[in-house]
Amino acid sequence: MSVRRHEAHLLTGSYALDALTETERAEFERHLARCPSCTEEVRGLRETAARLAMAAAVPPPPGMRARALAAAQSARQLGPPGRNPLAMAGQRTGWRRRPVSRAALTTVIVTLAAAVVFLLVAQLSTSRQLQQAQASSREITAVLAAPDARIESVPGTAGGMVTAVMSLRRHEAVVTADMPTLPGSRVYQLWVMTAAGSARSVGLLAGTRSGSAPPLLADGVLPGDRLGITVEPAGGTARPTTTPVVVMPVTA
Amino acid sequence: MGDMKASPASPQQPGPGRTQGGDQDPATLLARVARGDHAAFEAVYDQFAGPVYGLVRKVLRDPAQSEEVAQEVLLEVWRTAARFDPGRGSASSWMMTIAHRRAIDRVRSENAATAREQKLIPVAEAGDDVAELVEGKLDRQRVLHCLDSLSSLQAESVNLAYYGGYTYSQVAELLGVPLGTVKTRIRDGLIRLRDCMGVTW
Repeated sequence: MSVRRHEAHLLTGSYALDALTETERAEFERHLARCPSCTEEVRGLRETAARLAMAAAVPPPPGMRARALAAAQSARQLGPPGRNPLAMAGQRTGWRRRPVSRAALTTVIVTLAAAVVFLLVAQLSTSRQLQQAQASSREITAVLAAPDARIESVPGTAGGMVTAVMSLRRHEAVVTADMPTLPGSRVYQLWVMTAAGSARSVGLLAGTRSGSAPPLLADGVLPGDRLGITVEPAGGTARPTTTPVVVMPVTA
Repeated sequence: MGDMKASPASPQQPGPGRTQGGDQDPATLLARVARGDHAAFEAVYDQFAGPVYGLVRKVLRDPAQSEEVAQEVLLEVWRTAARFDPGRGSASSWMMTIAHRRAIDRVRSENAATAREQKLIPVAEAGDDVAELVEGKLDRQRVLHCLDSLSSLQAESVNLAYYGGYTYSQVAELLGVPLGTVKTRIRDGLIRLRDCMGVTW
């Protein structure tokens, strides 16, 4: 026990330099959660690594500044954590996590990618839409292909199944839902709910024609967040108004 | 990194409400960025685009790809500034972590298909990496001075892991030393650097 603990502690340096594989990293982060002295050491070593980074500074290429500032002009920012009464909602659900083989993941990825392309292309009418769809499908494909992509499925409290492919490195998740059909006036809405209690809408999953909605891409997904689905009035709402029917914790 | 000076290369027109002095503090700037302040983002760019691009380029080498990844990093800084928690580390550490992770993500996803089955190719010039960067800047001199105080195995291990973007087990393979040794050398080396550079956290 103490040997294992000691062994784990030796990884603070490699962790601070991102020199662990995904598996090792996840394991070490579990260790960090219950080792305050390691956490303290990692902080100092990360700051040290940042000095190494600062020392590597070189002038960026001309034009990069204008491009970076322009990109910021047209990118939506993620909101800060806030308070939300639904914060605790997910903690009682008895969903199950299952480890998934690489082969199974590949199957899901291929299926999802095909669905993305098909659905997006099927719904287009203008070239602008086509461009947007291509961009969106590229982003989704990037998540699916991320080296740390992992898949999780959670059953809904009222039936149905939600599947997410998550990449914590990209802070993104691609979510598909096969949910029971809702009356026409209701829709499923997907949220990223933070540990601090705020909820950010990702988008709507059609309440009818279940299974035929395009996957949704949730960004800014961090460990400790939860993906949640609520039933909302058609058109969706700014904040969740009902208890989620599905909650999927995002673990490190 | 409170002593880092803003790059004088591209001076900004002062925006409304912009004052001198502590306004350039990175954590303060990030808080403003989180509120959608584009002028603050420009100031962050001017302080950190060089380090972000330099670090990414060090790991990736290819200039075009490095710019692409550096752009992604800066956009992520813009988008997720509200998630920066000054209680958990410095602003520069937060940004450099994003940059390093994005860079090695790129390396590892590219290598995933091919390199996994192949022997790793030793990076002959890795030991010189830091030397080539040192051009008078005090920060750099300090880092170089501190790297000098490491044993060669410590310096090489840190160098390959951080600037090379290798996992510690790849570093062990490259250097032909046992895993446990590399793990220890990386940690000991970083601790020595931390103490030498006077990093307090």
